Amino acid sequence: MTDPVAESDPILSVRDLKTYFFPDEGTVKAVDGASFDVYTRKTLGIVGESGCGKSVTARSILRIVERPGRIVSGSILLRRDEGNGAAELDLAQMDPSGPEIRHIRGGEIGLVFQEPMTSFSPVHPIGNQIVETIRLHQPVTKDQAREKAVDLLRSVGIPKPERRIDEYAFELSGGLRQRAMIAMALSCGPRILIADEPTTALDVTTQAQILDLLRNLQEREGMAIILITHNLGVVAEMCDAVVVMYLGRVVEQGPVDAIFHAPKHPYTKALLRSIPSIHATIRTTLPTIAGSIPHPYNRPAGCPFHPRCPDFMPGTCDASEPNLQRVAEDQEVSCFLYGSK
Amino acid sequence: MMGSAERLLDVKGLQKFFPIRRGILQREVGRVRAVDNVNFYVEKGETLSLVGESGCGKTTTSRCILRAISPTAGEILFRTGDGTVVDVATLSKPQLRPLRRQMQMIFQDPFSSLNPRRTLLDIVAEPLVANNVGTRQEQLDRVAELLRLVGLRPEYMRRYPHAFSGGQRQRIGIARALALNPSLIVADEPVSALDVSVQAQILNLMLALQSQLDLTYLFVAHDLSVVKHVSDRIAVMYVGQIVEMAGTQQLFTAPKHPYTEALLSAVPKPDPRLRTQRIVLEGEVADSANPPSGCYFHPRCRYAVDVCRTETPRLEEIQPGHFVSCHRANELCLKGVGESRSSGRPPVGRTTGPRGGADGGGA
Repeated sequence: MTDPVAESDPILSVRDLKTYFFPDEGTVKAVDGASFDVYTRKTLGIVGESGCGKSVTARSILRIVERPGRIVSGSILLRRDEGNGAAELDLAQMDPSGPEIRHIRGGEIGLVFQEPMTSFSPVHPIGNQIVETIRLHQPVTKDQAREKAVDLLRSVGIPKPERRIDEYAFELSGGLRQRAMIAMALSCGPRILIADEPTTALDVTTQAQILDLLRNLQEREGMAIILITHNLGVVAEMCDAVVVMYLGRVVEQGPVDAIFHAPKHPYTKALLRSIPSIHATIRTTLPTIAGSIPHPYNRPAGCPFHPRCPDFMPGTCDASEPNLQRVAEDQEVSCFLYGSK
Repeated sequence: MMGSAERLLDVKGLQKFFPIRRGILQREVGRVRAVDNVNFYVEKGETLSLVGESGCGKTTTSRCILRAISPTAGEILFRTGDGTVVDVATLSKPQLRPLRRQMQMIFQDPFSSLNPRRTLLDIVAEPLVANNVGTRQEQLDRVAELLRLVGLRPEYMRRYPHAFSGGQRQRIGIARALALNPSLIVADEPVSALDVSVQAQILNLMLALQSQLDLTYLFVAHDLSVVKHVSDRIAVMYVGQIVEMAGTQQLFTAPKHPYTEALLSAVPKPDPRLRTQRIVLEGEVADSANPPSGCYFHPRCRYAVDVCRTETPRLEEIQPGHFVSCHRANELCLKGVGESRSSGRPPVGRTTGPRGGADGGGA
């Protein structure tokens, strides 16, 4: 691993990441042992329903987990070339407000939030905010940075960027705002772009535009994308690899084709069956997953999915937690149905 | 679905404009044409869905029908329980009161639509109390019956909404809507705030209740996959107008309006092998305060010709039950969405799991 970073090496490896929250009422294990790799020029999808820990995972990578949460254990390894071979930085060990992580955050790793309205300042023009980001990370003058910001806005498909740059976030439509957000995330040429539900607040036709934009940008800039979403349709359209999470645990991960056409974990299977599909026969009942997602304080013992699982094995699933097992090339699943430890 | 069924709701020429006021004198400088000449009907026992993107006027239309807001113009003819037809649009508040028992609403957000300081009993019994229906004991029994109907345990009725998950709260909202035996239910995005695994439960519940209680739904949604599961007919709206209305099957397999085609194409399909060429619409939804000339969709339409820029198309019935508002409806051959994948789905075996479907298992 001391050789220069090859295309086949992951640029970001998360290993056994545990991020817990410690409110007064008890401990919430928001992320409980997540491991995955991110490759350059590839899109990794992290899917799951609310409370599965997908957003906290993203925030952990950038070290912006809010109190009372913190990373309890695990490592987040960022690989980069430093002339004399590859260097590995463990983001999990850094001081969350130190200069190192602040250099990486917004620089090497960009972030696109779900709600572009709340992530821009309402009292500053969007241009100023992009210029600020650029000048924070690059030694350029104000005018140069502004020129760059206009170019960026143009590259994400905002019409008349010279004029738009002086507008406030509320003057832009949802789609344009998300484009501006992406422009800001790209301003320092990140190697990894984390997009947390980038299209959830948007209409379908706008969503299609933004997904197209992300794909084209990836082709052009060659960055890795971590796409966090609950929408399996978006995952199928965008991702190369998928991580499925449930209550803080990775239940299954693998290439996108395997996840959609040969899912192994009962949760993945049930989730795929239960989504309303545009190809379905009209007015038919959908297969459902029994029950609902448990409250984080009432986390079930053993496999967190066992109370809702159709393949529940008493005495096994509720006794201990399964670990990720390799079931096929590149595909891992954490379920006692597939060999147990 | 039903050929000669009577129309429960008949909306004719509905308009709702919101004034734009500027300056100290609050002079009217323009109008947002939120709903502009909308015509449709809903037959008894069927589900009509209004779909479209944000700002298309679908929610405003549904709110006009319930008279949560008063329309600017148009008729909303509603057939009451005793068979008389009344125009909801012109009734005064006291006249509306008895009608409100017959049309109820299911809200989008199950978190903000339930009062956190009142118990389930208070919430579900409220329509009964407000309308003086039955004695206290009868109300209690009715609430228990309603909770059972929506898959919740009656023992929960003394609890507060915070003890329930999103899906369970939506069930509470449905129970409240059903309390007075309404004939029409307006459901405004009833599942869009829910997790996917819970969406299916609520959609199934709504379908089951419809056949059990002979309900008529006006379903407002933006998600075409959800709409497909519940609708008999669909009306697609764009900038305050209905651009296409047809039976669900017809609309999905053979859309006639370019906007419908683009909408269908834009929905991300949950199958990586179907990464086909999507139609990505350029630009933005037109401003309903300042709509473009001619057909409102022409600046984004890939089939637009000269006539589209100058003349406004009318909603016309090009096949029985299939209404389109497009100059080129008869010459275009548009691509719909088939049912190819449904047969390729894994067999649906033990899907409801050991607990038997409803999420009333634990609170």
